[in-house]
Amino acid sequence: MLVIPAIDIREGKCVRLIQGKLDQEIVFSTDPVEVARRWEERGARWLHVVDLDGAFAGGMRNFDLIQKIVQTVSLPVQVGGGIRSIAAVRELLGLGANRVILGTAAVMEPELVQQAVEEFGERILVGIDGRDGKVMIEGWEAVSNKSIVELGKEVEKMGVKRIVLTDIRRDGMLKGPNVEGTREMALACNLKIIASGGISSLEDIRSLKALEPYGVEGAVVGRALYSGVVVLEEALRIAD
Amino acid sequence: MIVIVDYGMGNLRSVQKGLAKAGFEAIISADPEVVGGARGLVLPGVGAFGDAMTNLAEQGLDQAIRRFAGSGRPFLGICLGLQLMFESSEENGWHAGLGLLQGRVVRLPEGLKIPHMGWNALRQLRTEPVLAGIPEETYFYFVHSYYVQPTDPAVVAAVTDYGLEVPAVVSRDNLIGIQFHPEKSSAWGLRILKNFGELVGNAGYTRD
Repeated sequence: MLVIPAIDIREGKCVRLIQGKLDQEIVFSTDPVEVARRWEERGARWLHVVDLDGAFAGGMRNFDLIQKIVQTVSLPVQVGGGIRSIAAVRELLGLGANRVILGTAAVMEPELVQQAVEEFGERILVGIDGRDGKVMIEGWEAVSNKSIVELGKEVEKMGVKRIVLTDIRRDGMLKGPNVEGTREMALACNLKIIASGGISSLEDIRSLKALEPYGVEGAVVGRALYSGVVVLEEALRIAD
Repeated sequence: MIVIVDYGMGNLRSVQKGLAKAGFEAIISADPEVVGGARGLVLPGVGAFGDAMTNLAEQGLDQAIRRFAGSGRPFLGICLGLQLMFESSEENGWHAGLGLLQGRVVRLPEGLKIPHMGWNALRQLRTEPVLAGIPEETYFYFVHSYYVQPTDPAVVAAVTDYGLEVPAVVSRDNLIGIQFHPEKSSAWGLRILKNFGELVGNAGYTRD
């Protein structure tokens, strides 16, 4: 299983929100490029970069910075947050991002996901952000009427191979991931899953790794790495 | 000067533009003497193997390319250009290739979607100068129905998984072949062209 450090960018800084709330922000660094470089040095094999301003605004806001990260590190980078047009998808993949994550677009504009998948195949990930089993959209400010499993099945039909599954009740809380919810999703759909949100110990990494046979392929870790409660090198050792 | 071999088989301009974007000027030529005098040679190509060899032979380019390849200067084959580097192909019958590397070109197995067209991730098997700085798992754009089976597996520097392991980058000494299209593969494709340009820049005019 992959352990993927998250770099969430807000107003040019590397931050972490608690449950996606803008007024509960922790700033980890004012230099996200340096942060990316540090994770690379410490052995990360992937990076997960999110444009938080973009997610809230509905269009990318930290494009230049993301470009800088992608071109600075020699790691594959998956990018999400505010990607709502095929032009943005093309631009990000064209500058060298390995994969892009479509979130809100998957609910509001399934045609975009369809078109993106036809053009870029498995380079298109769908981010499914759930709260109480329902899909959250618009930077987690709005709840949709879809269940996460329904959306999972829909995007699978479109040809999507991989999702980033986030439980927003857990995100930034350091209270453990939603292992049960992740397992349910993995069983309901034939998708590869990158689990995100709540990871706070090496034990959590172990629990998610146990789901590897069901298709859980990676874990995005944010606050736990920045606050030091999880040490990347140790997490990587367990996950391998 | 980098020379792109013009033998009437497509995608020359996009390769030239890609090299220009990467900071290297290249000329397109069908003249065996210009090809022979190049500092670095690119053999691109889209189309059928047999037609390509016929065109090369008619213009005397096949011998010019073989001589160039033997001179130690950097050579890059792209897509059909890579396939032409090998000894033979089973595309529409049997055709002899340039024979710069040992091995043959065969059709992708039945049951796979053919042509293989789209973005696939590269798995690097060893350090390869032309892939310097390319992250693992980087996606490149492929369009092909045939693939190379080198006699010596050690020439394969990188593969992609498409139902089977498809050799995506091969190299031996000064010879490099790439199955995908770096000129259509975003910033990382340009990085490969840049790496090749630098190899050309660093190589001297030895032997010839």
